[in-house]
Amino acid sequence: MRDLLLAKLALRTLGRNPRRTLLSIVGIGVGCGIVLYMVAFTRGSSEMRIRAISESGFGHARIAPATWEKTRDSDLRLVDWKRDLDIAGSMAEVEFAAPHSRTTALLAFGTCVTGVEMVGVDPNVERNISRLVRVLSEGRYLERGDEGAVVIGTAIADRLEVELDDDLFITIAGAGGEMKYAMLRIVGIVSTGSRTIDGTICHVTLAEMEHLTGYLGAGEITIVFRDPSNIDALTVRLQERLEGTDPVLSWKVVIPSQGGDMGSDTVFMNLLMGVVIVVAVLGVASAQLTAILERKREFAVLIALGMGGGRIVRLVLIEALAMGVLGAVAGLAMGFPFIYPAATSGYNFAEMMGGDFVTEGVLFDPIIYADMGMWLIPLAFAVALFSTLVAGLYPAWYALRTNPTSALSLREA
Amino acid sequence: MNTNLVDVRNVTKDFHNGKITVNALRGLDLAIHEGDFLAIVGPSGSGKTTLLNLIGALDIATSGDVHLFGHDLTALSRRERAELRLTSLGFVFQAYNLIPVLTALENVKFVLELQGIDGGRHERAMSTLEDLSLGELANRRPNEMSGGQQQRVAVARAIVSRPRLVLADEPTANLDSENSEALLRMMRELRDRHGMTFVFSTHDPLVMAHATRVVTLLDGRVASDEVKNAGEEVGSAN
Repeated sequence: MRDLLLAKLALRTLGRNPRRTLLSIVGIGVGCGIVLYMVAFTRGSSEMRIRAISESGFGHARIAPATWEKTRDSDLRLVDWKRDLDIAGSMAEVEFAAPHSRTTALLAFGTCVTGVEMVGVDPNVERNISRLVRVLSEGRYLERGDEGAVVIGTAIADRLEVELDDDLFITIAGAGGEMKYAMLRIVGIVSTGSRTIDGTICHVTLAEMEHLTGYLGAGEITIVFRDPSNIDALTVRLQERLEGTDPVLSWKVVIPSQGGDMGSDTVFMNLLMGVVIVVAVLGVASAQLTAILERKREFAVLIALGMGGGRIVRLVLIEALAMGVLGAVAGLAMGFPFIYPAATSGYNFAEMMGGDFVTEGVLFDPIIYADMGMWLIPLAFAVALFSTLVAGLYPAWYALRTNPTSALSLREA
Repeated sequence: MNTNLVDVRNVTKDFHNGKITVNALRGLDLAIHEGDFLAIVGPSGSGKTTLLNLIGALDIATSGDVHLFGHDLTALSRRERAELRLTSLGFVFQAYNLIPVLTALENVKFVLELQGIDGGRHERAMSTLEDLSLGELANRRPNEMSGGQQQRVAVARAIVSRPRLVLADEPTANLDSENSEALLRMMRELRDRHGMTFVFSTHDPLVMAHATRVVTLLDGRVASDEVKNAGEEVGSAN
């Protein structure tokens, strides 16, 4: 077997100074463990954010009218929403496709008045995509065929001083700017636990919305994919299926601030991981360079014997790789005691966030869980091996440049 | 035995240490023939080791020509010189310089591995060790052997691939006279048996006594070049 002794030499070399090797492995392990923890936490919080966005009724993507992204006008309607809905529904990757229409409305009861964004929904689908409508404190959620029925949040109910079965007076600007009026009966009151969210929920059926506004059809179709880890690609695929009638926008476009937050979180975490890896690389490089300096004479002998540059580099890099493998194992061992509780018990940010964890209409779970899975193993090896290989490059180059005549001279013996 | 393995013509070698230039070799001429058992002697600083490094393709002359097996060493790349050392040269160092984490057998096998010899590596290395009465020490690491034993392993490593030329820099400097004598006899035997050429840089009278030719260097030049006959060799050695 070729280079068997080279590998043997590299591996046995690690045992020459066990303390230094152990410290190097611990160094790689600590760096690797920190990176694993950070990645697990970042992945967990990203998944939680996407889930919160989706379950707050925004889905993973949205089929929206062509000019919606620019104008954000809630009175816009899709060109052919039923066709879009059929196409989206026929895609295996799509779990739910929920049509919505929106308008701004004024709700009044007695002398109390409040403005809200009223949402027209398909009740059967809405129950599946939005956890907000599953938490009814009173009454029931909407059903297909409901006429003159509305579901509101507790904060709206409190503001208007209404109860279940009270009739609300609704004023909206209909098609052509015409003011329209209607009486809607409260059939359900939703209590999400967030005053902010409960102050925004006002749902009617799609048919009711058409009837009230005079705008026909849906203004958007909210899409929930089966695989939330592949949203961007699936969004593009759905867009291709629709053949350009209405654009499909990912959640990052629908709620740009959330996309920006996640992007900046990821950049920050990557930066921190970069710093950790650089520190680990420098530590290992320093230790390995010291080891090379101590073995300068040995490298001179190897060069004198005719060992080529490729083999010298390979020898140093095999040593680095071996330390990388052990460092990865150490990293997993050191990271696990921190990742496991973070993945199972999570971190509760409720107190830090003042109890109401809502931004841009997204209701977040205050407990963030780290993502723990088998993917940590290849990641640990990738991080540790990459770090040690990079760390080994300069020492390898240094070993390669050994001048055998001066290294073998008695003065340096 | 008149073929020139090595031709050194008008070679100079300068070393620079800051503003100080040391002229280690100053227009040296030397031809080494196949089968020579040659001792290069001279006081410290006379240029013995420098000459050995140039012949061994470990260093490049400042001026002049060094031809090794017909190759002009100054014209060879670093890689080509490494290849030449690997295939045609053997080195024995004063401080043995065995690889400490490898056993005697592995140290010897390592050269064969470097040469890319796949089959029969173990047998060949083992037989070389046995030829040097080191069979029982094959699985010992250098720190488990005496100086004499280590130097014999170093010789085994140098000759296992049957190089045409073996360069030995003060090979007996760390050995007692008994071990030195045994080592030199063994090398002479190898020369006689395999037709190898040995070049020593030395201060040791014992090496000079065993040598068939003694070249004396002084101030970077050849001061004398003495070829001895067979009778003289044996007589001097005893």
